[in-house]
Amino acid sequence: MSGGKVDIKVVLLGKAYAGKTSLVERYIHNRFLGETVPYQNTIGAAFGAKTVTVNNQNVVIGIWDTAGSERYEAMSRIYYRGAKAAIVCYDLTDKSSFDRARFWIGELQKYEQGCQIYLCGTKFDIIEDNPDLRTVSERDAHALALDVRGENYETSSKTGKDIDKIFTKIAVDYLASKTAHKNEVDADIVELRKHPKKHLCQGCS
Amino acid sequence: MDTIVKENIDPKDLKSFEVLYIEQQRRGYVSEKTQFDYAWCLVRSRYISDMHKGIELLKDLLRSAKDDLSKRDYLYYIAIGFVRIKEYESALEYTEAIQKIEPENKQAKELQSYIKQKLKSDGLIGMAIVGGAALAVGGIIGATVAAMRKKKSNQ
Ligand SMILES: Nc1nc2c(ncn2[C@@H]2O[C@H](COP(=O)(O)OP(=O)(O)OP(=O)(O)O)[C@@H](O)[C@H]2O)c(=O)[nH]1
Ligand SMILES: [Mg+2]
Repeated sequence: MSGGKVDIKVVLLGKAYAGKTSLVERYIHNRFLGETVPYQNTIGAAFGAKTVTVNNQNVVIGIWDTAGSERYEAMSRIYYRGAKAAIVCYDLTDKSSFDRARFWIGELQKYEQGCQIYLCGTKFDIIEDNPDLRTVSERDAHALALDVRGENYETSSKTGKDIDKIFTKIAVDYLASKTAHKNEVDADIVELRKHPKKHLCQGCS
Repeated sequence: MDTIVKENIDPKDLKSFEVLYIEQQRRGYVSEKTQFDYAWCLVRSRYISDMHKGIELLKDLLRSAKDDLSKRDYLYYIAIGFVRIKEYESALEYTEAIQKIEPENKQAKELQSYIKQKLKSDGLIGMAIVGGAALAVGGIIGATVAAMRKKKSNQ
């Protein structure tokens, strides 16, 4: 399930109410509806795409916004398959959502090793207004992100804080991995030219 | 929306959910979750017969649904199923039903405008075909269309 002509498949995972849909809404439409529209938990999964330009290159990011409700756990597993990047969201004001983030990270590590993880603490504006409401320390989140060679972000879909930053980073990382891959292939070709016999005979003895 | 409507399930996934469903059926009790997982896989299958079967399983869940939220979700996947088998009028009935539960539901609204767009463009294509053919073989086609219309109104 890759979804149309996209360069990078990105999946959003995390507990219900963690703020995944709001994050996508902010990124794609640059708006926050939380003050006027009541919470609607996502049905299954929603899809959106946006083109970003990094280093003069256009990259189409296809975003799968999964539903956090337990009912959709099986479906979410299907949606993260083949994703190059996962934004694993937790709500900075809800400790249990951080446990759920751990769960999804564990899943990704087990089944989707090619997927880069971006950990994302949401609703930063709330703890900015009232620091007492923070339930997940930056330190714990940072440690978890390091465990999976990922990064931790603290965002707000209300103010827009650091939302673009995540997606730009995803695009940059994607281009870098593409270049790295190309260099590997080029190096192999050079090797092949240098030792044509050795390579040609691999497996024929 | 096109992406959401058109994506197909990997046959291996469909198979694994089917195995669970059949196993529970054999034991005489199918849980709501198992039926739902199997049903949305069927709706996303490549085969029209599977889509029909998925819709039936979802309708069955809908009849016994206990809360509005479950109902809403079943209605949504039934609508997706009808879109996939191109029964747009039926699909619209289901998106409307979602809006009775959640008037501002964004996914239902998007699906609804997608369906209306489809109805419009398919209607136009239909007219273009009939129009073009009518120019070529006028009388015959005219009669066929009239016959088709008659048949439809008898149904
Ligand atoms: N103050 C504030 N509220 C937010 C922010 N992000 C999300 N919310 C609110 O948190 C609630 C849940 O947000 P959603 O984006 O719908 O959550 P979700 O993760 O998509 O939930 P599911 O679809 O059920 O998995 C909504 O009421 C949002 O308005 C934020 O950055 N700041
Ligand atoms: Mg959501």
